[in-house]
Amino acid sequence: MGDASAVQNSAGAPVWDMDFYSDAVIRNPYPHYRRMRDLGPLVWLPRHNLYAITRYDEVRAALEAHHALVSGRGVAANDTANGMANANLLATDPPLHDYLRKIVAAPVRPRALAAIQDRITASAEALIDRLLKRDTFDGMGDLAHFLPVSIVSELVGLPEAGRENMLRWAAATFDMLGGDNARMQAALPVVREMRAYCEVQATPDKVRPGGWVAMLFDAADQGLIDRDKVPVLMRDYLGPALDTTIFATGHLLHRLGKAPDQWARLRARPELIPNAINEAVRLDSPIRGFTRYAGQDYPVGDLTLPKGSRVLVLYASANRDERKWPNPDSFDIERQVLGHVGFGHGVHACVGMQLARLEIRSILTAMVNTVAGIEVGEPELALNNVLHGFAALPMRLQAA
Amino acid sequence: MPTAIFIQPDGSRREIEVRTGQSLMEAAIRNGVAGILAECGGSAMCATCHCLVEEAPQSLPDIGDEEDAMLDETASPRQKNSRLSCQIRMDATLDGIVVRIPAEM
Repeated sequence: MGDASAVQNSAGAPVWDMDFYSDAVIRNPYPHYRRMRDLGPLVWLPRHNLYAITRYDEVRAALEAHHALVSGRGVAANDTANGMANANLLATDPPLHDYLRKIVAAPVRPRALAAIQDRITASAEALIDRLLKRDTFDGMGDLAHFLPVSIVSELVGLPEAGRENMLRWAAATFDMLGGDNARMQAALPVVREMRAYCEVQATPDKVRPGGWVAMLFDAADQGLIDRDKVPVLMRDYLGPALDTTIFATGHLLHRLGKAPDQWARLRARPELIPNAINEAVRLDSPIRGFTRYAGQDYPVGDLTLPKGSRVLVLYASANRDERKWPNPDSFDIERQVLGHVGFGHGVHACVGMQLARLEIRSILTAMVNTVAGIEVGEPELALNNVLHGFAALPMRLQAA
Repeated sequence: MPTAIFIQPDGSRREIEVRTGQSLMEAAIRNGVAGILAECGGSAMCATCHCLVEEAPQSLPDIGDEEDAMLDETASPRQKNSRLSCQIRMDATLDGIVVRIPAEM
């Protein structure tokens, strides 16, 4: 082979010499992921001083190998962000991680979710009724945003000014977790603003009583965590609670709009809704990948990831790996999608995945009864270093 | 290959082969065993692969913290023999394990 695939780095890893966080790659990532997978399960990204794990089996194994591939030195693709990582749930390792996770996960356990299910269901039904009365609308701003912004942000329970900033802060948080580029640099002051807000403004007297943030203060009062950990753990709610669910919702609506036969099948068999959600998260994973630090030499295929290196674990590529998934680029609500890594895998698997599923399921359940057809136009991509999702999606619903 | 027997709430029994290292949940899903939903895909985060271990050839690995917390929140009340089937990995010593699927998931 006379192209770049012949080039290897000192560890023998094939070199993929492109900017992973450029606009061009972000806009059309999947052919690049395929190219990276074809180079090998472990590739070297010289532009970012970073390895990447590209294939399904190796990604899953890496996510299980939390003793070797650690999160405690940050999960970003740049040194600045990793230097700022200060032991929130995303950036800790067991046993501390497991202890904190129990506290952070309390509001999204099954019983807590059962308590808010009726409200979410009713809210979703009313939303779809309203949208059916409109001609065209924005599937992102008017639909996908609705439950996270109107209900989840209230559940988190920041004071109003903080609540209004959650989407902006979350986008910046994920930009910061990418490579060192203009997007990441622009995100830094916004992330600092969020951190200052969490430290100074989100005080026990101002947060919503009974909300998730208030529960962290309660945990501190009970001596379960240090009081100064509260603003840190708060960020585990602020970053991922909204955008990821919003983007997954948008992807699923887009896919169903493009495939009327699958929408018809889902209407006939609504019990497939949970699988359809998983299939959308597999196919259009909202999070491209997070990094890990190699605390020791770690084998990937025939190669060794050297101790001290940083490696990007590519969920979005693993979920399209043709070595694992038949017709990986096609959307099939009946696909046996068990084992996809769109919510991550292992000890750091998405804490809020059941809340996200509840929200999306409520929307689809409302739709199968009342919506005969979903029309979608050309979506507009939201440019983000780590998130993959739409800023806008023109839509129209046809009443049943 | 080792096998596991799943008993449905209506009493019907089904024996399926489970690859060593595979979880009972995964084997159930791949074989279309009704009742095991496994929404979270095996992360011990949804309690929709709850099962009651009726007979085990030898004692099972201990219940982990996450699994323990989740078993407290199952749709059918937790029993002494409740487990999440995603957390039971098959090996030769568990050949013939019998699990019952609870009425509500």
